[in-house]
Amino acid sequence: MTIQTNSGKACARAWEIMPWALQATAPPEQCEWLMHHLAQCEACSAEFAQQSRLRCALSLPTDIPIDANRGLKRLLERIDAPEPDTTPVRHWSSGSRLTRALAAAVLLQAIGIGALGVRLWSDQAPHYRTLSQPAVLEPAGALRVVPAAGMKLADWNKLLHHLGLRVVDGPNEAGAYAVVPVGSAASSAAVLQRLRADRDIRLAESIDDTP
Amino acid sequence: MARHPVPILLRHPGLAGQPSCAEPAPTLQTGHSRAAMNEPTSDVDSRDRMLLRRMAAGDHAALETLYRTYHGGLCRFLSRLTRRADLIEEIVNDCFWIAWRKADSFHGDSRVSTWIMGIAYRCGLKALRQRGDEPVDDYALREGRGPSHDPDEDRELRDWLGKGLEHLSADQRVVVELVYGVGNSLDEVAAIMQSPVGTVKARLFHARVKLRNTLPTLAGDSPAQQENKS
Repeated sequence: MTIQTNSGKACARAWEIMPWALQATAPPEQCEWLMHHLAQCEACSAEFAQQSRLRCALSLPTDIPIDANRGLKRLLERIDAPEPDTTPVRHWSSGSRLTRALAAAVLLQAIGIGALGVRLWSDQAPHYRTLSQPAVLEPAGALRVVPAAGMKLADWNKLLHHLGLRVVDGPNEAGAYAVVPVGSAASSAAVLQRLRADRDIRLAESIDDTP
Repeated sequence: MARHPVPILLRHPGLAGQPSCAEPAPTLQTGHSRAAMNEPTSDVDSRDRMLLRRMAAGDHAALETLYRTYHGGLCRFLSRLTRRADLIEEIVNDCFWIAWRKADSFHGDSRVSTWIMGIAYRCGLKALRQRGDEPVDDYALREGRGPSHDPDEDRELRDWLGKGLEHLSADQRVVVELVYGVGNSLDEVAAIMQSPVGTVKARLFHARVKLRNTLPTLAGDSPAQQENKS
């Protein structure tokens, strides 16, 4: 059963107005129109009568026995009672926030201290070599040179300068220096030959060739 | 077309002396019409607002007045959700417990009755959810079909209503109660149920169609009479 097919537009309009007419909240002109329509339409008149009865039935007090005095007494007792249930909750809640904030601060501090420690450790790395560490490899093309004990320092420096060499290590216990060619120095073989030709040089050899 | 005089309404069973187009709707507070209380809506709301202000200041007497004023209407409204008396009492008390604590936060965006009804509705849904209950579906089995302790003529009306509401969902029953029983507008029902107005309108429409199809039968009309009404 549909409204449109059975009643038409006027009945549909009456259907829309009925609840609010029963509430007396519909505009007076709508109420007047509705009463006029009801006088002419038996179906809508019956529907309106049924809705009036529905409203009357819904307006009846509930049939469920509920004691207002007892409920009110319990409500007042509840209101007057102290609030032990809520206070700890609030305390716990604020405590929880404080604990979380402290934990976050401690975590940040730990991270900062760790980062600082790593940096300091890397900066303070020792500049010495222990016996357990592997020997520092000499650069490629390095030569081992042993000057005579009576060779003057000025002559030694002059020779190195003349051959384009620079001391990178030494002297060791045997008095040997490690030297490397600087810039566009001559080939190792030529340098070795000229070193060996000097009367104040006891030994000159390539370190790469040393087993 | 034959003209049907308006007094035909008064000849309908149970309609004698009942509300008509000229009579205001009943109120939430007592279920009586506002005209019967001789108190306009604005006056009622002004009084309720004053009570709320006193409650915000800790006045227990104001709370008691508001409680007694709304107790009957709230119980009837909540009985559309559950038929358990203990649960209804608990929901009503939860509602006023919240109203007591939130009285100072009432900003007057709605009528006090709408505000209270909305709290009660949400408390009712929460209580049912916490207990794993659903709003009553076997409505007619409980409404009006219990022990016949209601000796007056309202019993027949209750029985008729209960059988009709049996065919409605809980949401539809609530909307019908708020519109026909309490006299709320669609906007107010939407505010109470926190639903769009369109949803409320649809619920009301479907509820009315169901009741239109079932209530004449329950009233004892013959199929031929129903056909004529159609």
